[in-house]
Amino acid sequence: MYQIPRAEWYDLTRATNWTYSYVTEDEMFPEEMSGARGIPIEEWETYDEPYKVSYPEYVAIQREKDAGAYSVKAALERDAYVDRADPGWISTMIAHYGAIAVNEYAASLAEGRMARFAKAPGNRNMATFGTLDENRHGQIQLFFPHANIKRSRQWDWAHKAMHTNDWASIAARAFFDDIMLCRDAVAVSIMLTFGFETGFTNMQFLGLAADASEAGDHTFASLISSVQTDEARHAQQGGPSLKILIANGHKEEAQKLVDVSIWRAWKLFSVLTGPIMDYYTPLEHRSQSFKEFMVEWIIIQFERQLADLGLDAPWFWDDLVNDLDVTHHGMHLGVWYWRPTVWWNPAAGASPEDREWLEEKYPGWNKTWGKCWDVITDNLNNGREDLTLPETLPYVCNMCQLPIVGTPGNEWNVQDFPLEFEGRLYHFGSKADRWCFEQDPERYKEHQNLIDRFLAGEIQPADLPGALAYMGLGPGEMGKDAHDYAWAEAFKKQAEVA
Amino acid sequence: MSNLNDAYKQNKVGPIFNGGDVAQAAIEAAEWDNPDKEITIDDKGAYVRISAEQEMIITRESMEEALGRDFQMNEIEIHLGSMAGQIEVTPEQIRFFFEKTL
Repeated sequence: MYQIPRAEWYDLTRATNWTYSYVTEDEMFPEEMSGARGIPIEEWETYDEPYKVSYPEYVAIQREKDAGAYSVKAALERDAYVDRADPGWISTMIAHYGAIAVNEYAASLAEGRMARFAKAPGNRNMATFGTLDENRHGQIQLFFPHANIKRSRQWDWAHKAMHTNDWASIAARAFFDDIMLCRDAVAVSIMLTFGFETGFTNMQFLGLAADASEAGDHTFASLISSVQTDEARHAQQGGPSLKILIANGHKEEAQKLVDVSIWRAWKLFSVLTGPIMDYYTPLEHRSQSFKEFMVEWIIIQFERQLADLGLDAPWFWDDLVNDLDVTHHGMHLGVWYWRPTVWWNPAAGASPEDREWLEEKYPGWNKTWGKCWDVITDNLNNGREDLTLPETLPYVCNMCQLPIVGTPGNEWNVQDFPLEFEGRLYHFGSKADRWCFEQDPERYKEHQNLIDRFLAGEIQPADLPGALAYMGLGPGEMGKDAHDYAWAEAFKKQAEVA
Repeated sequence: MSNLNDAYKQNKVGPIFNGGDVAQAAIEAAEWDNPDKEITIDDKGAYVRISAEQEMIITRESMEEALGRDFQMNEIEIHLGSMAGQIEVTPEQIRFFFEKTL
């Protein structure tokens, strides 16, 4: 049967705006959901998505993708890779699934908002597929870890994490709710699909796939890189929105939406992806450092894309570039120290060989972060594990919900960036975190970070066990050192030989 | 990478594939379809970056030639993990480009 080529009918069939007779345009597309910002609907109809797909094509392509990822899983299942993988790599997977899987469903809702409320028909069409994409990502990233629940309760956190008040879950939700669930359709297209998916998902789904492949984990590598092929398509929804905003005199706001999204994504990745790439992934399988991946994907590729679409580098670009050398080391030290508060087993990544690599990739690491690890190592080798475990909670930022960190050593530089707003004193971990708040205080002002909740008496008993119970962490779920301190033993042996 | 703040001031565009025969075919097709350009390949194991300056075109015809079978342009999505530059897809070709030259 002859089929008319897509190019000959696509533009006509997706021109689905019509003249409403029973409702007004504002009732059809409420501003708080659509976010047209006063730009006439005719302008939104010029939205030209660069990646055009029909439904039959979509289904056929997605079937191929799923068949690929599921067949790799099926073929390697009997190999029981998980049983012989390095514990640091296991932690990488468990942290990833908990932080990502359920948020994919949230992303499906965000795509759904664009599919219904975007005034641009092209955006609605692409977002319909985006909704299905994100549903696939949620399902596949719950199904794969589910096979491992028999191995440890921590795998169950793929589904559980986002339904708890674990500090890492609060941080992830605070970010994803902000860019995905609590924005209008246009802002979602910019903050989620452009700011986050054109930029940062490449780090977690392609950069990490390179490490997975090096580590011999082909199931995980094929899964996450398959997810990213959907992202590569639906991430194209933001570019046309940006062009329309800029052409209609809204460049400043477009820039602000992008900047908030980038900064918040960066902070989340500094605690999730940074430690995974530079500390948990076994040394011999690290294909690049976290900083090198950030430079490749964000500092070069993503920033170049921003420039091409007519936007400027975010005002905090210098700070971000400088922070590539420091923030994630502080986040890692904090996560390892507060290890009972996470659902995975943090790998210290501080053996003599690891430290040599860290010093090479981050010159000066030994005289800053290394000094903290010296003390931890000594305590462990002197039988004082108790001194390496937390008794209290760290102060966390009122924007990113993560610990306020600085660089240790002789130039210890931790700094609070406070702000008083309507009688409440807020604390932020950086100038940019505070700036995000200042752009829209009404949006953020009621939020209570974990420490605010602790001080308000919501966490009882008001001590660490009470906090662990509040976070939903039961026995067999709380993190411990991934390698049972074998890395510290290596220093003891070195000392004995000397 | 002496000055990271300016590292983005370059004009390399092109697809990033997560492997598969399509990636290998695209390397060949990129060479045929962009005869005046130097095509660089950066193979990271889990992904392969194919780059050229400012603009790169990959046609369906070249993909069919390289694969030795029928190929619909949108099949490229099955292994297209990311891309540098903006894209434009038609039934006959995929184009990666920057509007500006930095």
